[in-house]
Amino acid sequence: MRIARPGPQWRFLVSPRWLGWHLAAWAGAAGMLALGWWQFRRAVEGNALSWAYTFEWPMFAGFALVFWVKTIRDELHPPAASQQPASGAELPATAARAGTGPGTGGGLPPGTAPAGEVPAGDDEDDEELAAYNAYLARLHQEARGHGKWHGLR
Amino acid sequence: MRGNVIGYRVMAYVTGVILVILCILAILQPFTGDEAAVNVLGTTHGILYIIYLIAAYTLARRLRLAPGPTVLMLLAGTIPVLTFVVERRVTHRYIEPQTAAGRLDTPAGTAR
Repeated sequence: MRIARPGPQWRFLVSPRWLGWHLAAWAGAAGMLALGWWQFRRAVEGNALSWAYTFEWPMFAGFALVFWVKTIRDELHPPAASQQPASGAELPATAARAGTGPGTGGGLPPGTAPAGEVPAGDDEDDEELAAYNAYLARLHQEARGHGKWHGLR
Repeated sequence: MRGNVIGYRVMAYVTGVILVILCILAILQPFTGDEAAVNVLGTTHGILYIIYLIAAYTLARRLRLAPGPTVLMLLAGTIPVLTFVVERRVTHRYIEPQTAAGRLDTPAGTAR
């Protein structure tokens, strides 16, 4: 979990790693909906077993999108600042050309990594950075109070 | 938190066991010709997997896992045997340290 950085709050959304995540989440949800539709047609044709899957697949699709939204909301810590990245239309092209997708680390094009910003993929083996991030996150959590998670109990 | 952990672990084992049985039956089906058992178990696994998803996702949020481990945890319920492996890893790597330290609301998986 990373911490809010200087610059526009939504900036991370157009990093190659996050673009890959958006694509995966939406493609996954679309695929699940397609499977649900396929099962619905089978159910209509008389396959009773397909009725269960007709409802199951859309649920999974919805879950994938909820998960996607939550990852973004977790990243944008102050929820009030979650504006749509409408003005960042020129950025995805730059970021997409890097073509690395999630998990490859490093290699951010110059335009997407302002000075002083931590590249999203580089923190994997950096224990010191991870520890510092954990420390910052803990401070942030303490300052924000614990209310948010208690609803899940 | 304790309830989440127990719920997740129970669901991981139940879903995992049913999935393994389902796979064995599905492999044997051409020989036994027993379609009903596979159908019933398949639907059962589907319903249990939804419960598993909710349990695992809730726990992942409580543990503040990063998206990578979270996705792995969720998908584990659909791949035979992986449920057991992931459950062990989650328990050792994320649950036990936090339980031991008594800090259940601090961030855990900062890697990925």
